[in-house]
Amino acid sequence: MESVTPVKKQPMPGPENQEPHLTETESISPWKEAFWQLRKNKLALVGLFIIIFFIMIAIFAPFLTSYSYQTLNAADRLQGPSAQYWFGTDDLGRDIFTRIVYGARISLMVGFFAVTGALIFGSFLGILAGYFGRWVDMLISRIFDIMLAFPSILLAIAIVAILGPSLQNALIAIAIINVPIFGRLVRSKVISIRQEEYIMAAKAQGMKNGRILFHHVLPNSLAPIIVQATLGFGTAILEAAALGFLGLGAQPPTPEWGRMLSDSRQYIQSAPWTVLFPGLSIMLVVLGFNMIGDGLRDALDPKMKN
Amino acid sequence: MSERKIWLLFLSLVFVVVLAACGGNNEPADADTNNNDAGTNNTSDKTNNEADESSGENSEGDYSLAEDQTLIFARGGDSVSLDYASVTDGESSRVTEQIYESLLKFDEDSFEIGPGLAEEWEVFDDGLRFVFQLREGVTFHDGTDFNAEAVKINFERWADPDHEYHFADEGYTYSVYGTQFGGFKGDDGHVIEEINVLGEHEIEFVLNESLGAFLQNMGMSYFSITSPAAFEEHGSAINENPVGTGPFKFVSWSKDDSIVLEKNEDYWQEGYPKLDGVIFQVIPDNSARLTALRSGEIDIMDGLNPDDVEQIESDPGLAIFERETNNIGYLGFNLDKEPFDNADLRRALNHAIDKETLITVLYAGLAEPAKNIIPPSYMGYNDSIDPYAYDPDLARELLDEAGFGDGLEFDLWTMPVARPYMPDPERAAEVMQANLADVGVTANIVSMEWATYLERTEQGEHDIFMLGWSGTNGDPDYFFGNLLHSDAIPGGNRSFYGNDEVDSLLNQAKNSVDEDERAELYREVQEIVHEDAPMIPLVHSIPVLAGSERVKNYVPHLSTSEPLTNVELAE
Repeated sequence: MESVTPVKKQPMPGPENQEPHLTETESISPWKEAFWQLRKNKLALVGLFIIIFFIMIAIFAPFLTSYSYQTLNAADRLQGPSAQYWFGTDDLGRDIFTRIVYGARISLMVGFFAVTGALIFGSFLGILAGYFGRWVDMLISRIFDIMLAFPSILLAIAIVAILGPSLQNALIAIAIINVPIFGRLVRSKVISIRQEEYIMAAKAQGMKNGRILFHHVLPNSLAPIIVQATLGFGTAILEAAALGFLGLGAQPPTPEWGRMLSDSRQYIQSAPWTVLFPGLSIMLVVLGFNMIGDGLRDALDPKMKN
Repeated sequence: MSERKIWLLFLSLVFVVVLAACGGNNEPADADTNNNDAGTNNTSDKTNNEADESSGENSEGDYSLAEDQTLIFARGGDSVSLDYASVTDGESSRVTEQIYESLLKFDEDSFEIGPGLAEEWEVFDDGLRFVFQLREGVTFHDGTDFNAEAVKINFERWADPDHEYHFADEGYTYSVYGTQFGGFKGDDGHVIEEINVLGEHEIEFVLNESLGAFLQNMGMSYFSITSPAAFEEHGSAINENPVGTGPFKFVSWSKDDSIVLEKNEDYWQEGYPKLDGVIFQVIPDNSARLTALRSGEIDIMDGLNPDDVEQIESDPGLAIFERETNNIGYLGFNLDKEPFDNADLRRALNHAIDKETLITVLYAGLAEPAKNIIPPSYMGYNDSIDPYAYDPDLARELLDEAGFGDGLEFDLWTMPVARPYMPDPERAAEVMQANLADVGVTANIVSMEWATYLERTEQGEHDIFMLGWSGTNGDPDYFFGNLLHSDAIPGGNRSFYGNDEVDSLLNQAKNSVDEDERAELYREVQEIVHEDAPMIPLVHSIPVLAGSERVKNYVPHLSTSEPLTNVELAE
């Protein structure tokens, strides 16, 4: 999904819909219009619903279950789903439903912080590269290229190996590997905006670079960033699960979904629910974010307007 | 756009499936290249059942032998060093047992000693003088002759830190020699007074004090004989270039992957070994190892999850091998570090660990809870000790009294590899972490590479650590001396437990040849140790291995390892 840069897909910038600030007075704001577009998109709404559902679960975790995610119960180990244990129990006799519910906190948190981190650093570097061009662009872009040359999960593993395995370090690693994705996106957007007349006008008025960047360039590049951030949420959660699976993410007893998968995989035949529910949760959350991301992209893409 | 959604959905699904299955990606890289005839493996399944039925009646085997007689033995961790006397881990001795031999040899299934490199031996002067008649016509793998001089050089090398082959400057220590023979050259307790070469194949050991376990010690893999010429040639790199007299010769070692051995064509035991070669393959993950066994990539695996035993028993192509219980898995405190120097705290934590849950969850019942550090079958086992019962409320109360009512946080060091006494250390750590959380104690699980783990615990960098000990000579002193005697610091005593009374009782027991007296002394030691609680004894386990039905004549020894001299592979 990284390869699809919105810039390529857009037609020659049409004067109206490209510059919301200039057209604000004329009709409804493009943001509002995008929102309406989004509401028409059923799949995106489903995605939104899934994510809100998981967010609620994460927030109200303690009220949803009477068990603790750490308490062992050897007598009830590897029990199938039942009224007592909705999702069954794992090999240590812990309630899987409880662990899934608390695990939602971990996954959403990782997604949020990793994406926020990547977004801030990536956008900053991308703006610098795109706006100043020349050697700044050269330098930053080559760094991005180098980082993108590694398979991202491999890079994440390397970073965690250096920092030591923990949830926090996994989060940092995921943020780092996502920086160039945001960076390149923003850079290409900025390059196209830089040549706009209103930027030239601003320059002609003697506006400072910083002000131009943050008051004109950045707001106008927001749409693709938002789309990428939403999609990035899903990716980040998936990457965190992968690191957790490899034992490089959250450490026990943290109920991280990827880790739960890995811990239970020897029971995949004898007690499939131990892997089914964590796997399903990962899939649903990632799917949810991807659906919203897709919907948002369609809604914010002027080409899609009828 | 819908195309893309389907694609994403598909990807997510694939990811989940791949994740759940990806344990298998740790295939033995060397296996194929070293198997001259990998193709034969695939056809073996069908013929297995037939071979099985017929071989039941005749142990010599009516089964036909497989063309490729290379056995692949998979395990969780790599050997630390192939200089057997300088390390104590079972992963090292598992390999060196194949390459090296000691003067005496244990029976296949007990600690009864029998002739090894020495054909006969005699005891004189109430156990103060031993004369060994060495086997003639034995050569080391480098072609040099095995003789009395070689034996003398090996023993002197361990005993004397100034010996040119002690390699003290390179950091080599031989702590087991110290604990088994009462110290090193010049130490007060060192029992070996002199070693005299009486003839080309006759050697005499003169002791200055009797040592109850002297002959048992001579059977231990720690005291095997290395070629003196190899010391000359390899120097301190002897740990990567082992040259012995054993049934297999060393070929190559790629770290954390595999150790390759080939048949010693000139082995003194006519017609042996049966195998053409052995490959010790590292596959860290238990379930990945089992997958490899099922697919026929490997022949024997150690470190089986007890939960998988049932599955394997129902699989006609696979067999279970049980080792007799002869070990202790424990949770040790670092007494050198605060707050673990506080005995009240240690006793309180002893009440916090639920051994029964541990056994149900991780050993599938193939273990019994431990209260002493020696296995119950051992001489001097003190059965009158009243174990610290699992009682979280009492533990909390005691913690409060000891001044830790507001909680306590420490690192729980966890072994990275499956051990005979602990098939899934990480999971075990999680159980104990939960137990400790119950009494308000926060344990952070810490793990690192196996060799690093052993080294750093020896240096005393840990708070609380998991480890265990398996008997290798059937004598209680091997447990007590290595785990609790202050002479074993740094070394096996990773609790840094030093109690003068215990030391002197252990010394007495070690030097006594009267079994009853020794047993009594050991019982006394156990009482003091129980009171001091330098560790939480967890379990005595029955280690299980799994192998293909093709593997014949494999008998796991009580100690952690055994030579594969008689083993062969059926078609």
